[in-house]
This record gives sequence, C-alpha cells and structure tokens, in this order.
Amino acid sequence: MSHDREVRIADLAHTFDTGDDGVRALDRIDLTIEPGQFVCLAGPSGCGKTTLLRLIAGFMQPSEGSIRVGGEVVTKPSAERGVVFQQPMLYPWMTVRENVELGPRLRGVAKRERREQAGRFLEMVGLADFAERRPYELSGGMQQRCQIARVLTNDPEIILMDEPFGALDALTRERLQDELLEIWRATGSTVLFITHSVDEAVFLGNRVMVMSPRPGRIVLDEPAVFSTPGHTLDAEELRALPAFGELVDTVRHAINGTEPDRSA
Amino acid sequence: MTDASPGGSGAGTATAARPRSSPPRPSLGSNPWVIRGVVLAATLLLWWLVTAVGLVRPLYLPSPGSVWAAFLEANSVHPVAEGVDRMVRGEQNYYLWEHLVASLQRIGIGVGAAILVGIPLGLVMATVRWVGIVLEPYLNFLRALPPLGYIGLLIVWFGIGDTSKNWLLFLAAFPPITLATIGAVRGVREDMVNAVLSLGANRRQALTVVMLPATLPQVITGIRVATGFAWTTVVAAELNNGIPGIGGLAYLSGTQLDTPLTIACIIVIGLAALALDAGIKLLESVLVPWHGKA
Repeated sequence: MSHDREVRIADLAHTFDTGDDGVRALDRIDLTIEPGQFVCLAGPSGCGKTTLLRLIAGFMQPSEGSIRVGGEVVTKPSAERGVVFQQPMLYPWMTVRENVELGPRLRGVAKRERREQAGRFLEMVGLADFAERRPYELSGGMQQRCQIARVLTNDPEIILMDEPFGALDALTRERLQDELLEIWRATGSTVLFITHSVDEAVFLGNRVMVMSPRPGRIVLDEPAVFSTPGHTLDAEELRALPAFGELVDTVRHAINGTEPDRSA
Repeated sequence: MTDASPGGSGAGTATAARPRSSPPRPSLGSNPWVIRGVVLAATLLLWWLVTAVGLVRPLYLPSPGSVWAAFLEANSVHPVAEGVDRMVRGEQNYYLWEHLVASLQRIGIGVGAAILVGIPLGLVMATVRWVGIVLEPYLNFLRALPPLGYIGLLIVWFGIGDTSKNWLLFLAAFPPITLATIGAVRGVREDMVNAVLSLGANRRQALTVVMLPATLPQVITGIRVATGFAWTTVVAAELNNGIPGIGGLAYLSGTQLDTPLTIACIIVIGLAALALDAGIKLLESVLVPWHGKA
C-alpha cells in the first residue's frame, strides 16, 4: 500500500442523538494530517477524542463536514485505516498467530506468505514464543502487543490508536512506547494516537494537539521533536530536557483552559 | 446496536499470564461421585425397605426388584403371562430400547429442524430491525404456550402419525434457539465487528469470521435448553398413538396400572435426558473451548 495520502478533515461536527436535544460531541474541526506524521491528541475524558477517531475509522458518519483520505471521502471502515482499540479486541477462537494473520487472510494472501508477514511482527512485539497460544492466555500487555502486531501486519497507511496503553502498568507502557516509536520510524505510517497522558503525548508525537470538551474543539496544535529520529538521547534524558518540560506545561495548560505561567 | 455489557468478551485488563491448565479444585473431602453413589445407594435401600415391610401397596410403589424385572422383561422376548406358552417381544411388540430410540429420533428431527430454522431466523431478527420488531411478540407467545395446549390442533392439521409429533417438538424447540441467537448477536461487542472491518473484511466475512464464532457459545446453550424442553415434551407428543416411543409406553403402562414398567420408563427417560445434556456439554467444550475465558 502506498503511504503518501493525507487525511483532510473539513468543517467537521458531530452530534449524538440522545432524544431531546442531542449532545454536540465535536464542533468545527479543521485539520490536515500529513503522511508519516505521528499526531498525538490529548484531552480530558469525554472531550470527543474517541469520537473523532471513530469518525476517521469510518465506524460512524459525521453530522456535518467531511473526512477525506487522499481526496476520497471516508464512508466505511477499511484496511487502509488500521485501528488499535483501548481494549485488545482479539478473537478468542483464534490463536495469537491466527489473530495476527487475519488481515492478509481476509485479502486471500497465500498461507506461507501471510505466515511470514505475521511472523515478522510477532517477533517485533516479542510474541514469537506465544504464537500458538490463545489470547486469553496472555497478560494484558501481551494482548495489547498482539493487537498492535495484527494491525501492523495488515500494513495500514494510517494507524488510529485509541489510548492503547491506558490500561497498562507504567513499566509496560514505557516499553511499548519505545517499541511503537521504533516501528513508526521503520514503517513510515501515519499515526493518530489518542491519550489522556500529557507526558505520553509529548514523548510520542511529532505533532501534539489538545482537544477541549463539550463541544470538542482543537485548542492547541504544536510541533514536537522528541520522537523524531536522529538524536542519541534515551527516553530518560529526553524527558529531563527543559524543552520537554515546557511543552508538557503548554499542553497541560491547554487542557485546563489556562495560559501557561511563563514567569516561573 | 448499543449493547456494551462489561462482562462481554473483552479480556483486556488481565495483568498476569494465566496458567494453561485450570487450577486444582478444592477437595470436598472426597470425590463427588463417591458422595453421589452413597446417596443413591441409601435411596434405593430406603425404597426397598418401604416396599419390603409392606408400608405401601405395590400398585402405588412397586419394589426396586419388580421395576428391574419390568425393565429386563421389556428388553427381552418373554411369555405373555405366567404359565402361558405364547411369547411376545418386549412391550407392545418393541423392545424398551427401541421405544427409546423412536423417541430420540423424534427429538433429533424436531431439534434438528429447530436449529436449521432457529439460528438463521435469530440472525435476521437481530440484524434487521423491523423483522425483529414484528416477529418477537409471536416468538414469545409461542414460547409461553404449553405444548399440551396445541397438540390437538397439530393432530387435526397433520394427522395422528409422526408428522404431528415432529411438528410439536420442532415448535417446542425453536423459540429457545431463536431467542438465544438473538441475545447472542446483540451481545457481541460492536468493536469486535469494527475491528475485523478495519482489517479489510467485507460484510460476509464479518459474519463468518466474527459473528458466527462469537455467538456460538450462547447458541449452543440455547440448543441445550431447547433439547431439554423438547425431551419434556416428548410424553405429550406421544400421548396419542405414541407406540413406539418411550413417552407413549410410560403413559400406556400407567393407564394399564403396570406401575413397575411406568417407573422403569420414567427412570430411562430421566437418564436419557442426563445423557443428552452431558453430550451437548461435551460438544460445547470441544467447539467453544474459549467460553467463559474471554
């Protein structure tokens, strides 16, 4: 699959029909995501982040405005837009390997070939030894890695991730963050990563956005440099950089709806 | 679909790898089969004592021995009465096991047809909104009816032969299967389907790769319930012209005051039900080993 199409969101609004008035979840979103960008979207719970992701995924249709990928309007889910859910959504009637191979299998890729593709990503996420197990025999972190391998094996142009590390402990989370960055650098996919963790957003994204709640709007859109290749610092040293702390502050204040205190 | 049952199929928050084998069950002092065997032996002994000391007339409660004799006689060629030379085959010219097989065949046809009709109907009712809205009251209406209430009507429609009996068992078995299928489809988390669509599945693939396996555990439970219900209905189905048939034989022997044979039939009916249920449970553990784990 070619990886050179942009996501263009124009004048997007979405209202949930709740009977009487309806809830305005998203309002006036205009946004272009360039190919290969790693966009982190942060914001408090219930601000509409997940709604935006589900609209891009094609799980539902926006009330107003449009979402285009490479000029084509999104109307339904597609293999070009892979989704990593907050919960692993693995199929318990399949082994770990069968889950990871599922995308190529649906496209009718020959068994040997899809086995090879799946094997590569199983190796990458450290599940090669667990390929014949069932998902429910794995820990939560391993299940999440399996889900990520399943999406990567399908080679999507755009990867939509909805707080994928939210339910994991801090150590597992940091390891998976590093692995995800390595994978992103290697594949060049476009990533939209939703999180409620400010640190995670600043650490992972090369573009960090903040959404405000009710109705959801983009209130901050900043470039970030901490995940881009080329520097030699490790995660700990990166987090200790003054620039890292400054961006964390900016994002945090944007989420709280206040101006950052520059004098301090 | 707005269902989001938290129990569902998500297993996301487990933090430790679970062991492959189930942990050893806490011992109840000894094997449950030992306790069951002891209780059964005590019951039989009590039964024997009550009849041996003559507390109850044999017409009302025959002894275990005479029930066993009736069971053996029903499975053999025997004289028509004591001291008479004319020999007869089993009871009503069929061995007891042939009566049982005849009833099992009716169950097989009735439940088999109910599976073939009930599962697709349930899938359609759960996925096409207006079909579900229109048909669900009728399904609940049918489910609530006691089969004895409409057996007469079925005999008028389909005659006194096997056709009316098969229809009765079918009508008894298919509402539980259809309702179980509807519940199963509605219980599938929306994102289980979204996930496969995002991997590139078309609608047909989403049905075969995700919907069918995801609903299988509940559908099998529905088949279990339906089989149990059909089995309890078999006596009603065989009240008229039910020979051969274990229910028909139980009824007929009762009207002839042959209580040992009636009790033998009752025991066979009950044991057959247990065996059927155990068989379906075994099938479940083979077909859906993940049930209850994810």
